[in-house]
Amino acid sequence: MSRLNGKTAVITGGATGIGLAAARRFIEEGAFVFIYGRRQQALDAAVAELGPNARTVKGSVSDEADLDRLYAAVKAERGSLDIVFANAGAGSPLPLGQITAKHIDDTFDTNVKGTIFTVQKALPLMGPGGSIILTGSSAGTTGAPAFTAYSASKAAVRNLARTWAEDLKGTGIRVNVLSPGATATELAKEALGEEGQKAYGAMTPLERMADPAEIAAAAAFLASDDSSFMTASEVAVDGGLAQL
Amino acid sequence: MKALEGKIAVITGGSSGIGLATAKRFVEEGAQVVIIGRREKALQEAAALIGKNVTTVVGDVSRLEDLDRLYATVNEKHGHIDILFANAGAGTVAPLAAATEAHFDQTFDVNVKGLFFTVQKALPIFKDGGSIILNSSVSNVMGLPAFSAYAASKAAVRSFSRSWTQELKDRNIRVNTMSPGAIETPALATTTGLTAEQAEEAVAQFASQIPMGRRGRPAEIASALTFLASDESSYITGIDLAVDGGWAQV
Repeated sequence: MSRLNGKTAVITGGATGIGLAAARRFIEEGAFVFIYGRRQQALDAAVAELGPNARTVKGSVSDEADLDRLYAAVKAERGSLDIVFANAGAGSPLPLGQITAKHIDDTFDTNVKGTIFTVQKALPLMGPGGSIILTGSSAGTTGAPAFTAYSASKAAVRNLARTWAEDLKGTGIRVNVLSPGATATELAKEALGEEGQKAYGAMTPLERMADPAEIAAAAAFLASDDSSFMTASEVAVDGGLAQL
Repeated sequence: MKALEGKIAVITGGSSGIGLATAKRFVEEGAQVVIIGRREKALQEAAALIGKNVTTVVGDVSRLEDLDRLYATVNEKHGHIDILFANAGAGTVAPLAAATEAHFDQTFDVNVKGLFFTVQKALPIFKDGGSIILNSSVSNVMGLPAFSAYAASKAAVRSFSRSWTQELKDRNIRVNTMSPGAIETPALATTTGLTAEQAEEAVAQFASQIPMGRRGRPAEIASALTFLASDESSYITGIDLAVDGGWAQV
């Protein structure tokens, strides 16, 4: 398929996991993709695989100057931007009772503040037909033990799309949330091991974790005109985990 | 490759509006489609518009014997079903104080009972790993004055997808709900019982409430349904996909 022919996309957290799978898929569908991440080595490996229609910019979503450099690079090479996949996110466990201010700040800096400025700074390059996709999480709906900060930050991300659909009224730019459940990224596979993956999978009606390519397929749907009447929606790609 | 190459799809309420747009899109994506509707003439016109790979069955989803006939036809012609879009539905205007028992029964007979048996009777020939999509409405989460029976029936439909996701998981059948918002179909003006003026007022009111500032086109629901019907949504089950221009989301 080539639903994204000629489109320019930015994917934050694009060097690995869901972001990299989306970059692969967007390029297959005809897009030109800028992947943004903090680790040069991971970015280099990704672009070597992605080929000539990918560029990398090194930076952090919680650093405004880095984001300015990202969009300056997009403007210089492509002039405008069609798709933003605000996907960079972070989360680590800390049970209630042990939560520190730094833990909350780190989580919200990346997941909430980082998402807000990733989108705000992209707007000058975007126009009618543009699509913004925010990575939420099934944890934003269900809660996840010891993941207070992460779950709350993802609930906040889901809410951002509601307000922004109103703020973007009349611009022709759509904004939706893609909420993955347990996804078998390289990082997750390493952290969970075989047994852990089985345990996570068993919690879902589909009885398995997602392949990152399955999340990328939903991202491609939201990026394309196939979802042209969708804004402020949440698409849960979670094997039913948070739906029942 | 096309998204639905070689798939067998059944669509109820397939002769107009969202059902017709979806039948057309599914065929474009490579599917063979069987549509059921109550009006023979409308079905024939729909089949002509779709052009190829379509079979029509005259029938009413609230009549169990009609459903039996539908699936007998599907079984004879194709032997199995990969995709079911349970779309037939109806809603007429009736304020709480004025609604009759017949109004209530008609609404629930088609939207709830009809849909329940549409799915149940498909199961014996439904292929493991297939996709079932139930047509609900954003009214499953929004109040609609003078359409309370309709809105409640659509909330029941959303509930079905939760239970059936679990009941059918061992067969790897995914069950999802589609919730369209205000869509440009003939139904609002022709079947709800609103006068032409009331329908026009309703359309203007919808547009002012919808962040995208307009009603959706049937083809925009059909493209989202294609996503839910295809393997592109292989990790999606039990969800309610709102395609409503943001109407019920903000």
